Amino acid sequence: MSAVSTRPAARVGIGGPVGSGKTALVERLIPALMRRGVDLAVITNDLVTAEDAERVRRSGLIDPARVAAVEAGACPHTVIREDPTLNIEAAAALERQFPGVELILLESGGDNLASTFSRDLTDFWMFVIDVAGGDDIPRKRGPGVIRSDLLVVNKVDLAPYVGVDLPRMLAEARAVRGGRPVLTTNCRTGEGVDAIVQQLEREVLFRQ
Amino acid sequence: MLRLHGIVGRADDAELHQRLHALEHAGALERVTMEEADLGRRRIRLTSDKGTDCAISVDRAEDLSEGAVLLLEPGRAIVLRVGVAKAWRLRARDAGAALQLGWHAGNLHWRVRFDGDMLLVLLDGPLAEYRARLAALLDAGLVEDGGDG
Repeated sequence: MSAVSTRPAARVGIGGPVGSGKTALVERLIPALMRRGVDLAVITNDLVTAEDAERVRRSGLIDPARVAAVEAGACPHTVIREDPTLNIEAAAALERQFPGVELILLESGGDNLASTFSRDLTDFWMFVIDVAGGDDIPRKRGPGVIRSDLLVVNKVDLAPYVGVDLPRMLAEARAVRGGRPVLTTNCRTGEGVDAIVQQLEREVLFRQ
Repeated sequence: MLRLHGIVGRADDAELHQRLHALEHAGALERVTMEEADLGRRRIRLTSDKGTDCAISVDRAEDLSEGAVLLLEPGRAIVLRVGVAKAWRLRARDAGAALQLGWHAGNLHWRVRFDGDMLLVLLDGPLAEYRARLAALLDAGLVEDGGDG
């Protein structure tokens, strides 16, 4: 890759409700992206701790120095939408420390279906929901579900155990999103993660 | 994929305007259109009106905006257009109603602009969904609905 193709580092947001699998997705994306030679850093957002950042740092998947923590101190959406200064500063600091970085993943703290990312902060953002959260989530038309660049439906393996009609849930998700992409994952096994990587390679890394 | 990085000029610049005009007459001017809701992105993939697949980026200190010239060669230019957001026009009946309207717009995290005594709500979805949120104020006559025309 030439220098011009990596500047500025792509900033990709990952939002979604508590427990939907955002950190698990980050832990799957890191090795999948690194296998493709993507120079990577991560920012995690938590309420009043660095819990998720510590989890990623201890994972052994990435140099711990490449994982920054932002503590929102309030509702998580405030620091990814209303005033994303803390996250913008964290991303800029990672770019200064690691000049070749091509992609910065920004994981939001777990929030509700209304959370969205500011375009000032991210070039592309995905919203993660899971089948165990209920197959009515797409029908509720939350801004996160509708406006995200990519909707990820995680834990698809649990559908039969929680009484979810997965094909119907996905059809409803696609209907409310007006044709924008919806992908499925099982982050416990890694199923579906390559399709997300391909989406990022095309939309913001410009490798395809 | 055509890789484009940075902004080489502005379409409304007097000198560039003439060159772009000449290129347009020669059929060598392409336009890429970005949705208004995507403003702020520094990396985006767009297809031009002539079918060119453009992978566009700018530095963080630059903004992609209407009229940005992304490519300028002797026989070819690419210019960025930005779609215009639909806006719902609202006027509050009095100061009390304006306080309520302002509270709702903030609480709902709507993007707004001001035009005199009108509040303009930039629409990211169907107008009906926005109207539903203010139904009580509209039905009570506290807020005048100026539509999105």
